[in-house]
Amino acid sequence: MEQLIALLKRTMPFQMVPDSMLLAIAGLAKWESHARGDVLYQIGDKAEDIYVVSSGSVQHTLGIDAHAIHPDKTVYSGGVFGWAAVLEGQRKRLAKTVCLERTELIRINGEDLINLFKASPSIGDVVMSRFATMINKEFTLPEAVATQVRHFPPGEQTLPQLQATMATGLTLTLFRVSQWVKSPDPYLMITGFAILLGFWYFAVEVWKLPRFEDMPGLTVVVKELFSKNPVYGVSLYTPEYYHDIWISVRRVGIAFFLATLLGVPLGLFLGWSKKFREYIFPLFETLRPIPVLAWVPLAILMFSGSETPVIFLTFLASFFATALNTMLGVDSIDESYIRAASCLGASRWQSFREVIVPGAMPFIFTGLQISVGVAWFSLVAGEMVSGQFGLGYLINTSYTMVRYPTIVIGMITLGAVGYSTSALVRMIGDYMMQWRVRELALGGR
Amino acid sequence: MNLNRFKKTLFSRSTLRGIVGIVAFLVLWEAGSQSKQWLGFALPWIGQVPAPTAVLKAWIGLVGDSGYWQSWYMSLIRVLTGFLVAMLIGIPFGLLMAVSKTFRSLAFPSFELLRPIPPLAWVPASIIFWPTQELSITFVTFLGAFFTVVINVLGGAKSIDIRYFQSAQAMGASQWDIFRRVVFPATLPSIVVGAAVGMGITWEVVVAAEMISGGGSQAGGSGGGLGFFIWNSYVGGSYAQIVVGMISIGVAGYLCSATLRALGGFVTPWLKKR
Repeated sequence: MEQLIALLKRTMPFQMVPDSMLLAIAGLAKWESHARGDVLYQIGDKAEDIYVVSSGSVQHTLGIDAHAIHPDKTVYSGGVFGWAAVLEGQRKRLAKTVCLERTELIRINGEDLINLFKASPSIGDVVMSRFATMINKEFTLPEAVATQVRHFPPGEQTLPQLQATMATGLTLTLFRVSQWVKSPDPYLMITGFAILLGFWYFAVEVWKLPRFEDMPGLTVVVKELFSKNPVYGVSLYTPEYYHDIWISVRRVGIAFFLATLLGVPLGLFLGWSKKFREYIFPLFETLRPIPVLAWVPLAILMFSGSETPVIFLTFLASFFATALNTMLGVDSIDESYIRAASCLGASRWQSFREVIVPGAMPFIFTGLQISVGVAWFSLVAGEMVSGQFGLGYLINTSYTMVRYPTIVIGMITLGAVGYSTSALVRMIGDYMMQWRVRELALGGR
Repeated sequence: MNLNRFKKTLFSRSTLRGIVGIVAFLVLWEAGSQSKQWLGFALPWIGQVPAPTAVLKAWIGLVGDSGYWQSWYMSLIRVLTGFLVAMLIGIPFGLLMAVSKTFRSLAFPSFELLRPIPPLAWVPASIIFWPTQELSITFVTFLGAFFTVVINVLGGAKSIDIRYFQSAQAMGASQWDIFRRVVFPATLPSIVVGAAVGMGITWEVVVAAEMISGGGSQAGGSGGGLGFFIWNSYVGGSYAQIVVGMISIGVAGYLCSATLRALGGFVTPWLKKR
């Protein structure tokens, strides 16, 4: 029974059904096993049951009059077929189904299932609308088939109602979390962290391995981080810590903003106009291999003070990453889209705005993510070499003043802040390109 | 490429335009740097930068200098060591994560925890840890390439079409066969890309590490690598040499990446454009 429930739970229309109802559905189910080559039903047979594949696979060949997109379809474990049994006024099989290998099936009577749904119309409606979506994906004649999917208006209930759960974002998240907790992943993850931290702790503080004895130990760093009276000057309770974070974030923010503002248009023009590219790109490629850090002395010479050189260095790194990725993004757009736009009478400017800019978007956002990463990278270097305040400066001064635990605090903070900024960029990107997120989700990613 | 086609590309309009772009940049730079003499007032920012002609003169002066070439050699050795170690550890690590789900769940979160820390933030910790400065610079260089290589290998192996495994299995391939004939060749392009990107990062890191740690200069300031060469020129006030150093690093980095790309093309001949 448990196995049955688990199977139903990952089967498409039943995923969000509450457990009580799953139990009821499982009560209707009958196990069946078939050998390779068994014909389950032919086109035109009487449709009584729907099937769920437990193991093995079946070939599902739709009739010619069904006008399906994919007339042949293989249904694997977890897949459902035999929908005709739950359609209204359709009691004839639309397809021929053959087992491709030794196959275990669950067979559920369509009439019983419909009665079960009638008993709790709100869930029944959700499940049936999911059926409709699945069927719509297969057939090109939706009015002939999909409109026959039953609908349960809420007033029609005759039996005591089961509690309904709609598939909202929250329930879906909770469902995923519960699945995650049941998998070995979180425990392995914790083990991984434990190994890492344990190695750090034992190597430095317990065994005092050669070379490790000078390193700041785990407990020292943690104690320092959470102490109200830090020995080395910086902890979660000191305002200096937040000041350094703020300064670094502000520098990255300004540099990233400028780099996006200048890099994206430059990249778009480089990709869009061949002539412009021929003039500018060789120069761009000559300057690009020079590591940003090699610019440090020049930046100090060019800009006075300690603030602008650091921002300039940070800007430079992100600028190249953004511009190059944007250009590659424009290159990746299928030429025929642009031609199609011109055929439909789009001006050069219109096709730039409507085809090129949105088409390059995924690459632009990849570029922006890389760009945030390199921005932090060069910010740290810039702050270490020239600069006042900021996390890179904190790390470097802690080193020169022999405040070793603070180095690690600075590193951890940098990792956390750097990770948050790139997560933020990714979120904004996902929000602005929901079509792509959906496309990737359909591809199972 | 035959000679005729080479000539054609050499004298094509796009090459000419590229040259025009670079020459225009150089002229603007020269004018900007010499603005005091040419225009009568120093332009902001660019007015402080040494002019291209001064850079060229400084470079000619350095060609015979063994210290300059020593810097090249030092940086190159550090980059290559760090890079090779990163490849040697990173490729098996990434492949192992891709092949074994258990190992991935075990190691990947910790890996992701360390990855966002910029390699340069490791410099002080690495100086404390390693006995010599040489080793600490090489270690930071290694870190710079390691994360990129692993992420690329993992991404490449994970994007392999599952049908390849299924068909290999259906034809009776063993686990080892699948690894050798399917996983490894399919991941090779990603390894090549990861190596190329990693090589770029190594050059960035080596320069910075040399600047910050003082380059481990034993030979009177001239044996500390190109990053130290730049920093030394800055401290010594010979500004034209800074630009020489920058260009040298650019050239060295470019040569390394180009060699790597050529090697990559050699090991993945099927990716060549038809």
